[in-house]
Amino acid sequence: MPGTSLISDYLTTLSAQLPEDVVEELADGLDLARQHYLRQGLDPDAAASAALAEFGEPQVIMAAFTRLSPIRHAARRLLATGPVVGACWAGALITGRAWTWPLPSAARPLFGVVLIIVIGLLATAAFGRNYRPVSRSGTAGCVGIGLLDTALIVTVAVALPAVIWPLALAVTASAVRLMFAARVTLRARCSV
Amino acid sequence: MRAEELKGHLDALLLAALEDGPRHGYAVIEALRQATGGRLELPTGTIYPALRRLEQAGLITGSWSVVAGRRRRDYQLTPGGARALSGKRSAWRDFSATISAALEGRPCPEPA
Repeated sequence: MPGTSLISDYLTTLSAQLPEDVVEELADGLDLARQHYLRQGLDPDAAASAALAEFGEPQVIMAAFTRLSPIRHAARRLLATGPVVGACWAGALITGRAWTWPLPSAARPLFGVVLIIVIGLLATAAFGRNYRPVSRSGTAGCVGIGLLDTALIVTVAVALPAVIWPLALAVTASAVRLMFAARVTLRARCSV
Repeated sequence: MRAEELKGHLDALLLAALEDGPRHGYAVIEALRQATGGRLELPTGTIYPALRRLEQAGLITGSWSVVAGRRRRDYQLTPGGARALSGKRSAWRDFSATISAALEGRPCPEPA
């Protein structure tokens, strides 16, 4: 159908970044706009062009949806609360004399490397401008933070001889963050 | 009237367009055009993320239907959205009356 290839190209650009249901909704709106201009007497190509002009640049639409992304908001929240959870753990590990715990020698540097990677992923999600990278980095960052928190909780359960209150506080903080990260990851799969 | 002039008022306009019942995104645009005599120049594509934002805020709800083989998303006001619209209307009346009084050299009306 004449004119529809213009719209199809526009939708292809959008679908490279945005979730399928968002693109479906925009496709429906574009078709309604095209029909509106056809009823006004425009030929099919002009009607498609007018509909696209009315919708505006795809980059503007994609940027608006990126700003809305729940995973982006979650990444910002995790980055903002990270120092608090980190401070809880620092206090707990110092009080619990963590350097005396029987851990494999590679465990501590490995934890540090993974933590840096996770912070990088969350920062990419929190400040990125493109929906797909924001979504992927944010999801990976949430999974990563969940794994780190799980590793900390398991390590404490296995290695610590007695429960001390700073450690209980740190474990609670990590457990709350773990649940938040899991919920965000699951929700991100089914929403904008 | 351009999009940047509407900053801060878009949510109220979208909520008002949904006050009479459920509408899909393009019908919301058409309702706004009709209500304003076509004086609003909003890029239609930016209405869709704005509707999703209102949905995330719990002010409207969205549901899918199938029309002529194509999936369509309709939106309707929630009770919270209706309350928000009412609040935005009265804030706008106050704002409008205050600015009009200042611009036209009239005494400022007492707040409602």
